[in-house]
Amino acid sequence: MEQVAAMKLLVIEDEAKAAAYLRKGLTEEGYTVEVADNGVDGLHLAVSNDYDLIILDWMLPGIDGTAILAALRRTRIVPVLMLTARGQIEDRVRGLQGGADDYLVKPFAFSELVARIQVLLRRAGGWREATDASQFRVADLEVDLVRRRATRAGQRLELTPKEFSLLGLLLRRQGHVLSRTEIAGQVWDMNFDSETNVVEVAVRRLRSKLDQPFDRPLLHTVRGVGYVLEERSE
Amino acid sequence: MTSLSSPSMAVEADAFPVWSARSLRGRLSRQFALQTLVGLSIVCSAVYLVIAFTLASRQDEALKQKQVAVQRLLNEARELHDIPGIKHLLDDFLAGHDDLSLIVRQRDSVLVFEKDAADRQEAMSKRMAFEVKLPDELGGVGQAELIQDTRRDEALLSRLLWTLVTAALGGTFAVSVTGFRLVKKGLDPLNVLAAQTAGLDASLMDQRLDATGQAEEVLPLLQQFNALLDRLQAAHAQMETFNTDVAHELNNPLSILIGTCEVALRRPRPVAELREVLSSNLEELQRIAGIVADMLFLSNAERGASARRSQETCLSIVVEEVVDYYEAVFEEAGLRVEIRGDALVSVDIGLVRRAVSNLLSNAARYATRNSVISVWIGRAGRHHFSIGVHNEGPVIEPEHLPRLFDRFYRTDQSRTNADRNHGLGLAIVAAIARMHGGAAEAASSSRGTLVQFTIKRPDPVGAATAAGAMSEEDRSHVKSTDGAKR
Repeated sequence: MEQVAAMKLLVIEDEAKAAAYLRKGLTEEGYTVEVADNGVDGLHLAVSNDYDLIILDWMLPGIDGTAILAALRRTRIVPVLMLTARGQIEDRVRGLQGGADDYLVKPFAFSELVARIQVLLRRAGGWREATDASQFRVADLEVDLVRRRATRAGQRLELTPKEFSLLGLLLRRQGHVLSRTEIAGQVWDMNFDSETNVVEVAVRRLRSKLDQPFDRPLLHTVRGVGYVLEERSE
Repeated sequence: MTSLSSPSMAVEADAFPVWSARSLRGRLSRQFALQTLVGLSIVCSAVYLVIAFTLASRQDEALKQKQVAVQRLLNEARELHDIPGIKHLLDDFLAGHDDLSLIVRQRDSVLVFEKDAADRQEAMSKRMAFEVKLPDELGGVGQAELIQDTRRDEALLSRLLWTLVTAALGGTFAVSVTGFRLVKKGLDPLNVLAAQTAGLDASLMDQRLDATGQAEEVLPLLQQFNALLDRLQAAHAQMETFNTDVAHELNNPLSILIGTCEVALRRPRPVAELREVLSSNLEELQRIAGIVADMLFLSNAERGASARRSQETCLSIVVEEVVDYYEAVFEEAGLRVEIRGDALVSVDIGLVRRAVSNLLSNAARYATRNSVISVWIGRAGRHHFSIGVHNEGPVIEPEHLPRLFDRFYRTDQSRTNADRNHGLGLAIVAAIARMHGGAAEAASSSRGTLVQFTIKRPDPVGAATAAGAMSEEDRSHVKSTDGAKR
């Protein structure tokens, strides 16, 4: 939403379809994206250009992710987000020790990738997100996170602490779709994909207080992806 | 398994070098031979010694009889005062005994009588010296010496010795040869077994080794082997069912995906409709991804991944956090949760949360509306802690209980709840328990259903943090770097 300038990303990914959707999706998110389809080209691009962030596939033909990371770390300090197909912890730990700043296990939700990229860029840039503010106003919704007060059209909303946390998360990331897994992790610290419908129920309950009594809904479901809080024109 | 079908096993058994230290046949034959040799040697030595002793004592006895006879003869001859007559008498006495010599001397060593004494070899003879009375002309008293030639006895003994040695060696040889044959014959059942085993087809799991005609000693091995095959068959069958289940589980969403995509592409459609199809497909795909992720988790656990235990934690706090997570769900279903007991133990918090979450989710699914779900934390024996979740609800039949923790197992065979619950939740609970050195179990009665898992208290040295450990925590670690947390 509030990108300062187009950030330059390098995607090193050998699978054409994966590289294509990453390029498309990330470009639409406002990033400038370059793609290398093998490790050698990727490393060359990475050391000879300035990127704000590198998305690196773990398994590459020619030269694999760890080797690229090791070579890259000799000359560059650039955030690296590893993509790994193997969900094994050894790989994750090796990746992080080898200098990766974060990793994502395939298959991952695109929204999750975008969220991680934002975190890494924010951390690298050292600037604090404007949405770290504690007071929000979306349409006729006014929320003060510090005083734990939420009103809509002047009416006080009676929210439970968890509902408040959920609303806070949605507000801080307004306009971005949050996946169920991400919500469960951020609000309840439950970092596993569970079979439960807890998040759906929680969102439904929040929605019944936040949207139901009013004309225009603010909390929207993006089917198969997650939830987003934004003001939509009819 | 494929190596079982190698047909060379029976041949190999025969081709095994018999005299190698590890050949049963060679070893047994050698031991037979040695024992026979020892046994026969003892018998032969006894025979030889007894006969030699008998012969010697008989010689002594004969000499003694002759001594008495010579003394009597000379006593009687004393009265005759006829020296040549005495010699004659002695000659007559000795006439029938070629193996006997006699020397008679006066006290001053003057020879009175001698017969055949010269050629008696010292070694092959037995001598006996004694006093005799001689006629007064010859000094009244003299010395006599009887010499018994023992060469014939010696020859007999030597023949006997050779016979016995030959017999002992021959007997040993004969016994070892027959022993060798017998052992070979005795081990035949093993060759038959090897051939049978070689004949087993790895793909036909219902084959068993045939016990008919097998020796009693081989039977335990055979029965154990067949029991092993039973277990393998069961495991194999379970794996097969499991594979089928996986295929089925994935087939459903896949066929939906293929179908909806195909139908959507058949005609030009408005964007909204295409968006609808894509959204629905995304949901299905996420379901598949969920199944695959859970399967990977289970397979990692199966391959021996252990929990990465952190500092000692109050289990009640961990449980409370998960209960908190379920607050909305429980409230909607009118359920109340009670947490009873507590324990301080070091666990992999992420994994325990996940297990508790699965248990609560399971309990919420089956609990009677407006009832109480209770979570029990306590000790289970000396080394284990347990976390159990109890809910009121339909009774689970006893035959279903142990299978609850099988993957994709659902008591109701329908897959009505399938969209969210893909039947791996309790399998994951069991896997997490195993990763903590514990187990999962379930009990059900009219008062409700209790599903619980145990956690082994870690060994004093942090052995559980070995490589290969797996945790949800590292994930949360990375995530918590997101400044947007709470």
